Amino acid sequence: MNFLRPIQALNASPTGQTSLLEVRDLHTHFLTDGGTVKAVNGVSFEIERGERIAIVGESGSGKSAMAMSLLRLLAYPGKVVAGQINLNGRDLNRMSERQLNHIRGREVGTIFQDPMSSLDPVMKIADQMIPPIMRHLDMNSEKARAEAIGWLDRVGIPDAGRRIDAYPFEMSGGMRQRVMIAMALSGRPKLMIADEPTTALDVTIQAQIVELLKELTSETGAGMIFITHDLGLVARFAHKVGVMYAGKLVEFGPVKDIFARPCHPYTQSLLDTIPPVDQAERRKLAQIPGFPPDMKLPLVGCAFKDRCAAAHERCFVEAPDLTLRGPGHRAACWKPEGLGEARRKDAELVPPMTHSEEDRVVVEVFNLHKHFTGRSVLPWKVPPTVRAVNGISLNIREGETLGIVGESGCGKSTVARLLLGLDPATSGDIYVDGMAQMVFQDPASSFNPKMMLADIIQEPLVVTGWGNRMERAARTRELLAQVGLDESYMSRYPNQLSGGQRQRIAIARALALKPSVVVADEPTSALDVSVRAQIINLMVDLKRQLRVSFVFISHDLLTVSYISDKIAVMYLGEVVEYGAADEVFRNPAHPYTQALIAAVPVPDPVAEEARMKKPLSGELPSPLDLPSGCAFASRCPRATDHCRAEKPLLQAYSKSREAACHYAN
Amino acid sequence: MLTYSLKRLAQLFVTVLGVVTLVFFTMRMIPGDPISAMAGDNLSGAALDQMRTQMGLNESLLMQYLTYLGSLAVLDFGNTVTTKLPIIQLILDALPVTVSIAVGTIILTVLISIPLGTLAAYMAHKGHKTLDNAITGVAMVLDLMPSFWTSLVCLLIFSLALGWFPASGTVTIDDPVQLMRRIALPVLVLSMAQIATMARITRTSVLEVLSEDYVRTARSMGWSELRVLFRHALKNAALPIVTVVGLSFGNLLNGTVIVEFIFTLPGIGNLLVGGINSRDYQMVQTLILFYALIFVIINFATDLVYRVFDPRVQF
Amino acid sequence: MTQEMITLPARRWSDLGTLRQSGLWRLLGNSRIQLAIAILGPILFLTIFRSMLPLPGPLQTNLQAMTQPPSLGHLFGTDRMGRDILSRTLAGVQISMFVGFAVALLALVVGLVMGTLSGFFGGVIDRIMMAITDIFLAFPSLLLAIGLVSVLGTGMIPVVLAISLSDVPRFIRLQRSMVLSLRNRAYIDAARTVKASQVWLMTRHIIPNTIAPLLVAASIAAANAILVEAGLSFLGLGIMPPEPSLGNLIRDGQSYLEQAWWISTLPGVVILMIAIGLHFLSDGIRQVLDPRSRK
Repeated sequence: MNFLRPIQALNASPTGQTSLLEVRDLHTHFLTDGGTVKAVNGVSFEIERGERIAIVGESGSGKSAMAMSLLRLLAYPGKVVAGQINLNGRDLNRMSERQLNHIRGREVGTIFQDPMSSLDPVMKIADQMIPPIMRHLDMNSEKARAEAIGWLDRVGIPDAGRRIDAYPFEMSGGMRQRVMIAMALSGRPKLMIADEPTTALDVTIQAQIVELLKELTSETGAGMIFITHDLGLVARFAHKVGVMYAGKLVEFGPVKDIFARPCHPYTQSLLDTIPPVDQAERRKLAQIPGFPPDMKLPLVGCAFKDRCAAAHERCFVEAPDLTLRGPGHRAACWKPEGLGEARRKDAELVPPMTHSEEDRVVVEVFNLHKHFTGRSVLPWKVPPTVRAVNGISLNIREGETLGIVGESGCGKSTVARLLLGLDPATSGDIYVDGMAQMVFQDPASSFNPKMMLADIIQEPLVVTGWGNRMERAARTRELLAQVGLDESYMSRYPNQLSGGQRQRIAIARALALKPSVVVADEPTSALDVSVRAQIINLMVDLKRQLRVSFVFISHDLLTVSYISDKIAVMYLGEVVEYGAADEVFRNPAHPYTQALIAAVPVPDPVAEEARMKKPLSGELPSPLDLPSGCAFASRCPRATDHCRAEKPLLQAYSKSREAACHYAN
Repeated sequence: MLTYSLKRLAQLFVTVLGVVTLVFFTMRMIPGDPISAMAGDNLSGAALDQMRTQMGLNESLLMQYLTYLGSLAVLDFGNTVTTKLPIIQLILDALPVTVSIAVGTIILTVLISIPLGTLAAYMAHKGHKTLDNAITGVAMVLDLMPSFWTSLVCLLIFSLALGWFPASGTVTIDDPVQLMRRIALPVLVLSMAQIATMARITRTSVLEVLSEDYVRTARSMGWSELRVLFRHALKNAALPIVTVVGLSFGNLLNGTVIVEFIFTLPGIGNLLVGGINSRDYQMVQTLILFYALIFVIINFATDLVYRVFDPRVQF
Repeated sequence: MTQEMITLPARRWSDLGTLRQSGLWRLLGNSRIQLAIAILGPILFLTIFRSMLPLPGPLQTNLQAMTQPPSLGHLFGTDRMGRDILSRTLAGVQISMFVGFAVALLALVVGLVMGTLSGFFGGVIDRIMMAITDIFLAFPSLLLAIGLVSVLGTGMIPVVLAISLSDVPRFIRLQRSMVLSLRNRAYIDAARTVKASQVWLMTRHIIPNTIAPLLVAASIAAANAILVEAGLSFLGLGIMPPEPSLGNLIRDGQSYLEQAWWISTLPGVVILMIAIGLHFLSDGIRQVLDPRSRK
């Protein structure tokens, strides 16, 4: 209990030296027509030189607004209304725009979320990179150009001297993010702000970028603020972690301490929503009920109280301050241990499902091909052909869940469309016993905005002429109950729902006709972590209750392996590894699977330190001209001439697994 | 680039052929024929018949169409019915007046509307709504004023009341000063509507660009707002603006007909109205064709300019 | 207690009722729509009930009151034949409103049907449709109308047809482009997985989502049609005198600009008001239907 002291005692630094950045009681508001949104509501923290700090939070937590406030990069109607931002002892918040323009890009570099839109599309890289260097480092254009090329080279742009004259559209997302990093570092800043720099990227590229940032900041000695929603990513490289909720830091401390001994109920719940790496026995994921508070309304008491299992009277009256919980570890909760006993209550064991060889096969796919033929520019030229799906064979038994993983562009979504009969296959056979239904990735475009939810869920029934009016209404209520929503949703419209609720409705619609298989294409990617766990739990329950088969398509290996019985790993339109989920995840046979698993961020700093550090190099080659040998050879650490010459076929690796690699055994 | 241009050119040719065909057959749908309309009751049946044969009107429709295409290919548009002058000559004489009005309008429009629209966008982006609302409001009213009415009001104020510009008088391309004085008001009237449209488009495009991520990137590198506005925002907004300039050319052509009529300027718009009133269908047909051609070619040019200046478009 | 009394279908109906109400309420609560009503309401009211007003008929001449400036007796003044300009303007508004409405309706209906078919089925139908619209879009709108009127003759019906002919291709294009972007929405795919018919997809999923933007475009087309009709009549190619179309009124006054400014200018102000009103209307509809534009 003696740790529960207010933080003011911490302010006096023992050495007397000021921190690199010291943020004190920052408040940022968005003055909208509908009211003032208090996005950042009193945030304080400090960064020492060379330190990497991660700020974690869900969408709407104010983490990005906070990061953008530091350099006053908020667009109207956002405004920093109070607080100090002391960079090396100078308050950025009291500087004029002019003074601040000497800090931006020079002393503080910034990297943004979406590399596709963060670079000016009509300007060459050179024209975007060189002028800031000339200005900030007072160089002539030749020296600045050499400097820029040096940075591009350093961040891993191949042939930097030539690529500097390229336009952004000529580069992939990963390459553009490297350019952004080079740009941000080119002023030799003392502090880097990275606002979700890897969210829009594939998992292998994400690992590359994170490694690069870690390496470069420690090399240049710059401090870094890394904004993310992905707790797992944080364990990989941060020194300290801050967890934001409703515009406030609710917990802040050294990374190992936060992961080993989280004190705030929100941090604890977030950690419990991540599927565990060690999946010897599967437990239900923790889920956070309810919604974050409306930031337009005044808050009384703790912002998390309505979603907290451990909330008591005091939480409803008085908001807790950050108090010390360990060396450098602070949390804002009245209870010393947060959820305490309540935390473990949720983790109920998921009994494994029994499958046997006698279960009927509901989906069988044999040697499936899907080629997209483009338009040739000139009539006499052969049109370019993309082999999106290049000969895959799969089967799914009743009640079984097949997970399909792979980077974007590997053809996994095309497989989904073929299974559903939305596109015709070029060749090969698809056999579905019964009906296939779908749950889509983007909950926003999944529903006709002009239709009531009751009509949306009933649509499959109406179209197929199922039952009469009364029976359909009864079935709709039954379906809503199955996905955990009450009847009152029937007369609502899609725009009145949150992302998680929409995905529940999508599942209800998919189940309406009692299909034999439900294809879910990235059903949780657009959702926040806490909601993601709810949807995954729901799907696990449903597959037990209804014995419906699922095809779960995702780039998130951790989630896929948690929910699936079997996994198919896809690379450039082919299945490179296929087998029982636990086996594939614990002991991957194909180098690509190994690389994917190595790239998955694990929410455990101690385990992270012990893991393989070298991320998969390179990017997905163009599917337009596939090599004659192994498609993965260009990125494979073990590739030989044999691989480049001869294509490995999918062969039995063990009793329940196949892999397509010459050197798997 | 070349392949694309050729492809677009082929497309253009098909469209123009369609336009020609449409105009030809529509004109042949007119009840009665130009000869009776022209001759009235003065000529005997035999004389009429002779004239019809002479003008090829007794041949089958297809033959007439082919003959027409053939004469178009050698730029022979025939003579006017009333004065027997070659139509192409009349058009070429009238063209400079119309072109001066159009060019004057475009210059004035671009000079005023782009700064105004950019200013409005910048103000809107910063949340200063008053100036933005004022500019957009005025632009809307200007845009909706019927140009013939604006012409009359301007005529009333600037020519009749104030006497700044002559309301009538001869116009030739040989006397540039007189030409300028005569076309000043028409250009002003046409510009009012064009400025309104262009300023609105500029505002929308620039405002959209200002909230793009790369603008924030430029700000994060320490560039001032003004530099970001000129170097990044305007450069990116320029492409949609160019497209709209091309498309608004159609409106401009509409407008020239009206102002030439009101200000009695001897341009091709006045030829057109005169042609309709004297039922000179040959003339009307040629002029409509002419306008369509100008419009189509301008659109084609706009499209090419767009593609040349946007590095993302590949051929 | 009351909860138990109400059966489920009835409750759904009442829900639907309140929703409709709230939709109408939102429309009426929008400031642009209120402005539009404030401008168009009185003009429409006066036009509809003009026969009940103490005004001389639009064609009634009065040789005692020739070319009189606006006064209490003649709010808009009189022309050289002593006809009351206000009365003639209101009669002109009626013609304008009819032309505007007819053109908008024609463009909307034809555009909706052809655009949906073209965008939804694609292929040969689409290519032919695009080639045809290309040809019509190659003419500046007023010039296309002039050309057609010179063929079809003057009068109300030819004018409406001539003006619509440049609007219809625009509406086909608009509808087609919306259909193309809707065609790949996930909810269409969801309906296709249960083998919903093409008619079902078009009527349940596509058209309900394109109606609103089409209505916005239609109110702009109406305003534009009113301006083009006035322009045609002004050039002597539209509605023939003595029918008091607004364009004719302005044309009448053109020769007497110096002696009697009111004959041309005041009807022009009314045209401008109608056009502004219709634009506010379309802006308002757009704002209410698309929350994103309410920045």
